[in-house]
Amino acid sequence: MESLYIPATASSPEIRFDFDRHALSMRGESYPENAAAFYGPLIAQLRAYLEGCRNDSVTMDIALAYFNSSSTKMLFNIFEALNGAARAGNTVVVNWFHDEEDDTILEFGQELSDDFTSIRFVDQPVKSA
Amino acid sequence: MDLMPQPDTDLFAHEHDALSSARAVYENAAGESACRAALGELMAHYERLLREMRRLIRRSDREEFEMNRLNQRLNELAGELEFRANHDPLTGVLNRAAVIDIANGILQREALALVVLDIDHFKQVNDSFGHPAGDAVICGVVECLRRLLPERAEVGRVGGEEFSVLLPGFGFTQARGVAEAMRGAIAGYDFRLPGGRRVTASFGISRTARGAGFDQAYGQADEALYGAKRGGRNRVVCADSVSSL
Repeated sequence: MESLYIPATASSPEIRFDFDRHALSMRGESYPENAAAFYGPLIAQLRAYLEGCRNDSVTMDIALAYFNSSSTKMLFNIFEALNGAARAGNTVVVNWFHDEEDDTILEFGQELSDDFTSIRFVDQPVKSA
Repeated sequence: MDLMPQPDTDLFAHEHDALSSARAVYENAAGESACRAALGELMAHYERLLREMRRLIRRSDREEFEMNRLNQRLNELAGELEFRANHDPLTGVLNRAAVIDIANGILQREALALVVLDIDHFKQVNDSFGHPAGDAVICGVVECLRRLLPERAEVGRVGGEEFSVLLPGFGFTQARGVAEAMRGAIAGYDFRLPGGRRVTASFGISRTARGAGFDQAYGQADEALYGAKRGGRNRVVCADSVSSL
């Protein structure tokens, strides 16, 4: 399946979905003007990819320094899709990167891990610059 | 009326779809099993929505709290910055620019008596006892001025050892009374200098009518101050009597 790459902008993260290597990542900040329009198509591609996964090990790196409420709503859909794939027998690891001093993002990651129990969340604190 | 959202542009596309199918079942008066199925589906969406909403709000609350904290800090720092921009760092009284601003503001509304004072032989204090002793003298003088400062009056450091006292609406007699009290307080103040050395200051006073500017008020007060220096220091001279000196 063809990879998906969307370069970062000031208000949207870099998306790098390397489906053949089962390596997915989102990095940057996320407050696009229309979060549903930004995330909708890439979630559709993600779902199509996950449907074809069989006993695969999928890794998603998430390093979002800031994401607004609309983006959060769309992130829930991404986690739902990943959680579904994990329940279907795949191994799904989410590396949750955050500034070591950013407790808000750390706690949000912990809550995601409570809600999406089939995904293995790995907390990845990063030293502040 | 049912506006169908575009699936790619609506944050609540899922929820909207679920609602539409539930409504279709409801309106078509379907049988019990279809109703149960629709209800079950709606419940699943409702639960999901609740869970997501709870997380979202918790996250927003935390962000909001943090934002408020930062905002408060920003306000404190802005206040500090403003204070620093208007005040002399050594003594905490107004700096030269702030004195000029405030004086011009007063003169737009009313007359102003301006007292300008200069510490006598300050250079000798600095040269004999060092700059820390000089700074202590500056602070001691400011303490004397502040203690005797009338209500609505302002005090500022306009130069190294030169200060201004703004007395809005004051006449010469009242202003002279204030200046004399300040002069006496400085002359009697123990600056803890070696040998019990005393410090004095000379004062010049001007009175300027409403509508004039700080430059005029200052020029006249400075001239009076020069008169006080020439007349032997440690004294108060009013601008209206300068010509007679």
